[in-house]
Amino acid sequence: MPLLPALYNVARWLTRDAAEAEDIVQETLLKALRGFTGFAQGTNFKAWIFRILRNTYLSSRSGLAASRTVALDEELDEGTTARVPEGAIDRETPELSLMRLADRAALEDAMHQLAPPLLEVILLCDVEEMKYREIAAVLEIPLGTVMSRIARARAALRTNLEAHRGFAKRAGV
Amino acid sequence: MSEHLSAATMNAIVDGELETTELARAEAHLAGCLQCSSECLSTGVLKRRVRAAGAKYELPEGLEQRMRRAVAPTATKKPAVWIRWGAVAAVVAVCAALVPFEYSRTRHRAEESALVSEVVDQHIAVLAANAPPQVVSSDRHTVKPWFQGKLPFSFNLPQTLPADVTLDGANLSYLEGRPVAQLLFRIGKHRASVFVEQRGGAAVSAADQAGFHVAGFQTAELEAVAVSDTDRARLTELMQALQAAQ
Repeated sequence: MPLLPALYNVARWLTRDAAEAEDIVQETLLKALRGFTGFAQGTNFKAWIFRILRNTYLSSRSGLAASRTVALDEELDEGTTARVPEGAIDRETPELSLMRLADRAALEDAMHQLAPPLLEVILLCDVEEMKYREIAAVLEIPLGTVMSRIARARAALRTNLEAHRGFAKRAGV
Repeated sequence: MSEHLSAATMNAIVDGELETTELARAEAHLAGCLQCSSECLSTGVLKRRVRAAGAKYELPEGLEQRMRRAVAPTATKKPAVWIRWGAVAAVVAVCAALVPFEYSRTRHRAEESALVSEVVDQHIAVLAANAPPQVVSSDRHTVKPWFQGKLPFSFNLPQTLPADVTLDGANLSYLEGRPVAQLLFRIGKHRASVFVEQRGGAAVSAADQAGFHVAGFQTAELEAVAVSDTDRARLTELMQALQAAQ
């Protein structure tokens, strides 16, 4: 089952709990089996099984808890046409240095701080390397919303990394 | 100059989602706008770093067997056994057909491709900056000692370089968030960067990206990756000379 590690990795990120991630993956496989006759041959199997995983997560303990604390979609999807801020025009900008210098732990922290709707979109896009169309199918949202969430997720990652860097500097690290 | 690119357009470039005509328009803007090209480069670096950091959680030992056991009884509860087993076989077969390699290999490939993109980006950034190296010297006895106290390892430079190859100098740089020596060479009229780092990160032997050749070698302690638009044979010749010196 070569998709199993990918399903587990995403479930583990979303739940932050090994046991719950296992439960979600197991339930996903059972649902996939039960619903396999409903899977249209020739369509995207990976997107289909990830959609089951995602729906299973949403109805899980951590998924429900997250839905109570996370900002509404409307709030998340605001500001979709942010322009590049005017500022330094040097090619080697502080931000580019920040991206390069950020260590893996800082990046993982920055990812953990993302709201679940932003974390899931960035996992599907960057780690699972899904196309926007496939992500839209998994999350059952319009293509435009996928694009705005990716923009917000990356902007939030940058903000989190900057905050982390600022903290490390103040702590003399 | 045309209006700056939106964040959504930059993401679409980095994610390979722009249509040909839109991409051509965006590239025309990027060619003349340092602010947007820097922002785009930064988004690309972020994407690659997230890809590497995101593939974090390994499948726990025995989980696949537990899943198979958990799934199997369900498949035999109902009377239409052959249909249920057909579904089990089909799900497993489709999974197998879609992703034919184990995840760790996928991750290894992702890390290798991230490393190739990162070295190509760094090399392009140096070419574009057109700034002198942090240590300007063609003398190996100047360049090597310059890294003392800056890097947690040491490396050797060859006594003689291949014909028509000169050392311009070096920078202290970073790859995968780790400090590395970026040695700057000229092979004929072509510029080349050779990154030397402590062994332990992703490794690459040979690759091509955006018209650049990438070549690497590993020793017991070190890894080196070179990037240049010169022909591959000449880049390999330089790397062989460097490897022989270690």
